Amino acid sequence: MDRKIFILVVEDELEVMEALVNDLEQFEGYFPIESANSSEEAKQVVEDIYAAGNEIGLVLCDHVMPGQNGVDFLIELQTNNQQHNAKKVLVTGQAGLEDTIQAINNAQLDHYIAKPWTKEQLEEVVTAQLTNYIMAQRYNPMQYMMILDSVRLLEYMRTHKITDH
Amino acid sequence: MKLDTKQIVGISIGLLGLISPFFFQLEGLSDAGHVALGIFFLAAAYWMLEPFPIYATSVLVIFLQVILLSQQGFLFPESTAQYTPDDYTAFIGTLASPIIILFLGGFVLADAAVKYDLDRNLTRILLSPFGKKPGSIVLGLMVVTALLSAFMSNTATTAMMMTVILPIMARIGKTDPLRIGLSLCIPFAANIGGIATPIGTPPNAVVIGALSQQGINIPFGEWMILATPLVVVALLFTWFLLIKMFKPEAESIEIDMSGKFNTSGNAILLYIAFAATVLFWVTESFHSVKSAIIALIPVVFLTLSGVVTKEDIRKLPWEVLWLVAGGISLGISMKSTGLAEWIVGSIEWSSFGTISLLVVFAGVSVLMSNFLSNTVTATLLIPLAVSLATSGVAGEGFNLIIVSLVIGVSASMAMMLPISTPPNAIAMSTGTIQTSNMAKAGISVGIFGIILVVIYALFYWPFILN
Repeated sequence: MDRKIFILVVEDELEVMEALVNDLEQFEGYFPIESANSSEEAKQVVEDIYAAGNEIGLVLCDHVMPGQNGVDFLIELQTNNQQHNAKKVLVTGQAGLEDTIQAINNAQLDHYIAKPWTKEQLEEVVTAQLTNYIMAQRYNPMQYMMILDSVRLLEYMRTHKITDH
Repeated sequence: MKLDTKQIVGISIGLLGLISPFFFQLEGLSDAGHVALGIFFLAAAYWMLEPFPIYATSVLVIFLQVILLSQQGFLFPESTAQYTPDDYTAFIGTLASPIIILFLGGFVLADAAVKYDLDRNLTRILLSPFGKKPGSIVLGLMVVTALLSAFMSNTATTAMMMTVILPIMARIGKTDPLRIGLSLCIPFAANIGGIATPIGTPPNAVVIGALSQQGINIPFGEWMILATPLVVVALLFTWFLLIKMFKPEAESIEIDMSGKFNTSGNAILLYIAFAATVLFWVTESFHSVKSAIIALIPVVFLTLSGVVTKEDIRKLPWEVLWLVAGGISLGISMKSTGLAEWIVGSIEWSSFGTISLLVVFAGVSVLMSNFLSNTVTATLLIPLAVSLATSGVAGEGFNLIIVSLVIGVSASMAMMLPISTPPNAIAMSTGTIQTSNMAKAGISVGIFGIILVVIYALFYWPFILN
């Protein structure tokens, strides 16, 4: 496929960002990773990605950051016609109940990862969410069998009448 | 819609093909034949180069024939000495021809079977007698896959069976060649199994559609009598080949398939509909109710009972029906404009013997469908074979039914590359095999397939048909 599907990581603390990106290494070959230190920078990155004809499949976002907080950024993303398809995951230790409710109701948050995370847990969530994304967008599942959840992708092919020709 | 260079080249070649016959006066070909030739060129270019999806080309083919060649079209409003135009309903009517309705029935059954997990539960039951030895497990997987793909789409069957073998793969050694054998046995068995029944795979529909235009009806059961013995031999050969080529190291393998049959009211209705329809299909020769009429049973029964809902109907693979209908309709004008006969007449066929003709048709069909859609291959080759047989230029013994079967069956024997069939593509996508593994095994199956088809065409099919 010509359109690239990006993973966007938004995190203000450099070490945390590095750790996240490191743990996502195995996805990089299929889903290029972009990072941003703040909501403001993230918006610019998002704009650039879509302007180049590409798209975002998954956003991993911290909550407490200088400037606009993570939940508000995700809500803004959700209101955008083009960008709201991206799967949204909060990676945070500090989002209160109120913020979390906000994120679920208004940003259609797909998953919440509490810091500190484990590599296995992160990979599992990212795999599941990107699999959801590929199926929701009706992209050809065969290209992602080796990296995402192959059983679910096969099940999708079985039930969605991908046929002989 | 944005076009890339490859698409633009494909579109241009097609358009050039469409108009080219208008610039040359081909001797012995009617004016209408020139138009039909142009449409044939366009269809062949678009189906082979795929600048558009193949089902879109099929509808275009129907449309072009309606506006250019039908009685209601621009060019031939009146009959001429050379050409009596068909009514436009002949072309659009292919969308509801008996073979299309037969496929519709098959789709509805398969759809409901998947919805209620009948395919998976049957697999569980049918696999259990095959034990734990790798060799017999592979055989079991192939038998079940072939059986299911005879009634469901080869692709959906492959997707389901891959979910059965993935857990096995996780338990056997990373370097055990059994992994390759397992990954290949599913798509290969699905490709071969599709041959077994008229509804197994679309190329069969093309064969049956073309024959019915010639007034020849092939009952469901008769097709199975013709095709199933060939499927069995091809399956056994492929099993043997895969076991020898990729010798398993593991001593025994476990398949844990837990689960139980869905026993809800709807599921029971489905089981009854499935069994009754298949029973009536295979016994067509005894009660002589046509299989397309029987195909309405599941459609009526499952929609009345709500087992198949409006949403399910919307999700049926309608594009496959368009594809087949486009192919059938192309055959109509190739015949009525005299194009098919003209093409056939321009080659000196009598210099070939019957056997070499059969080998050529089988070989070309396998070769083409390795690179093209199996249905497109059958669609493009069958009109030629039909006119070759009906015109009699190929001599006695060149039987219409047999040569059509040769093409249709051979089209399903192509499994050399990931692009050869969707089941191959699925197997490849799991990453357990290399293209070279597939090519090595697929070429052997293809060559064996050609030999097998020719042997059946010479000895077995004439015996059954006479």
